[in-house]
Amino acid sequence: MQNRSAIRAAMGVLAIMAVLCTAPSGAFAFDPASYPNLKGQWFGVRGTAGGGQPSFDPVKRWGTTQDAPLTPEYDAMFKANLADQRAGGQGTNATSTCLAPGMPMVMNAHSPMEIILLPETTYIRVDHIRDTRRRIYTDGRDWPAEIEPTFDGYSIGKWIDSDGDGRFDLLEVETRGFKGPRSYDASGLPLHRDNKSVFKERIYLDKANPNLLHDDITVIDNGLTRPWTVSKTYRRNPDPRPAWVEYICAEGQQLVRIGNENYMLSGDGFLMPTRKGQAPPDLKYFSRK
Amino acid sequence: MRERNWLAAAALAAITILPVGDAGAFDESKYPNWKGQWVRTDAGAPRYDPSKPSGRGQQAPLKPEFQAFLEASLAEQKTGGQGGDPTYTCLSPGMPRIMNNYEGAELVVTPDTTHIFMEHIHDSRRIYTDGRPWPAFIEPTFAGYSIGQWIDEGGTGRYSVLEIETRGLKGPRSYDNTGLPLHPDNQSVFKERIYQDKADPNILVVEITTIDNALTRPWTAIKTYRRAQNPRPVWRESVCAENNAHVEIAGQGYMLSADGFLMPAKKDQAPPDLRYFAPTQN
Repeated sequence: MQNRSAIRAAMGVLAIMAVLCTAPSGAFAFDPASYPNLKGQWFGVRGTAGGGQPSFDPVKRWGTTQDAPLTPEYDAMFKANLADQRAGGQGTNATSTCLAPGMPMVMNAHSPMEIILLPETTYIRVDHIRDTRRRIYTDGRDWPAEIEPTFDGYSIGKWIDSDGDGRFDLLEVETRGFKGPRSYDASGLPLHRDNKSVFKERIYLDKANPNLLHDDITVIDNGLTRPWTVSKTYRRNPDPRPAWVEYICAEGQQLVRIGNENYMLSGDGFLMPTRKGQAPPDLKYFSRK
Repeated sequence: MRERNWLAAAALAAITILPVGDAGAFDESKYPNWKGQWVRTDAGAPRYDPSKPSGRGQQAPLKPEFQAFLEASLAEQKTGGQGGDPTYTCLSPGMPRIMNNYEGAELVVTPDTTHIFMEHIHDSRRIYTDGRPWPAFIEPTFAGYSIGQWIDEGGTGRYSVLEIETRGLKGPRSYDNTGLPLHPDNQSVFKERIYQDKADPNILVVEITTIDNALTRPWTAIKTYRRAQNPRPVWRESVCAENNAHVEIAGQGYMLSADGFLMPAKKDQAPPDLRYFAPTQN
């Protein structure tokens, strides 16, 4: 009898332990062994084509060589933007005045990226212009009836155990609910001004090298003739305690937008033209001239 | 004897299943539950010491030189200027102003780092709790470099207090929008204690002590944040550059009108010097 009691007690302990350790809500313990190890500092891997700043499709040079499947209207807008940039303007690159890059430009990882993985939310921090922290909700929520538009969008994710080994290895993400203007990269490659973009991402570690992270991003946008998919790769910094930069766009910002024109601030702080022959700003609101 | 074997086996199995250390599992039950959205409890303009009015009312123990700076800032602001408030052009508020908690905070606790996300201008922090020493060199930042330590103050087996020290600052920084200044040598050190109110776990207490060369003595303030009841709160996105009507040209603040033209920020303010534009263009 005593034996049976002891066995029952022991089984009870085991059962409680098992429940404690498998609590799906994360109320008791979050077992990182069930998730991929995404800790550390990630740098965007650029393609060999090189040139310019980080581009949306990292294996292609930024600009027209991205071969974005733009609608004729947006292709014309993009080309006009490039012409404006050649003349010293900023075209449709909205981040020139420190506006948030938003999606998908955030994932170009101009600055190093950190991924913080908790059961309910995966956070993606990229300190570029804004202290961006994408929140990818993995708590099983539905799309809200109304989404307050943001540059980063509203992201819902789902962890997948793609190979059935009992461990999640893939984060599928869908992001909606945008505001703009946004561009794919600093070349000004534009997204549709209706801000109806939808992004579908698959984020996973490289099977052969766990220090490489992949993000396959598909863009569905009315500025495109078809969905556009690119594969981004990030490399993990081997330093377990890396330095994190603080990117304050307004610090040392020399571009000033007045009306529809961009101007520069000179080294001594005065306004100066960005283009040959550019007119100065209209000072009609000043009584003293 | 059999009983002992079973119990021993059960205990061994329990040990095997139970997560040990952060290599195996992050046992959230050892840390306080700080999840959710935290908003400041004080009304009025966000300020360093929420128990006192802003500006002179803060009664900051400033050295005379910095008290004079504050007075000049307040006088300048009365005329329409920005005084000593550096954030109007979207510079980061930095420490300690970040903790004024302008638009809601999220504290994300992990064993190695506690992330403090503040929705405002550029206010996010990392508090390292991985036992690291101070680095030999700190790249100065507005948020500073923060090392924290979890304390089990009640001896309950659960951490209750996060003690933080922050150094390695850059500037200019002020405590609030009145321009209440920190020393421009940026040697400030901040010591914080963050914990939940014992009587109400939906109140978070942030004690901050500032040690700064503009002060005659360390200055301590106690802030409280209240947790929003919605477990799935809406997080706004504050993008300072969006619709910011302030422009600084040659050290002078101007405004942009609704139709996009430059306009004075102060009565009878002179227009900016347009010396770099060809006269024929003007």
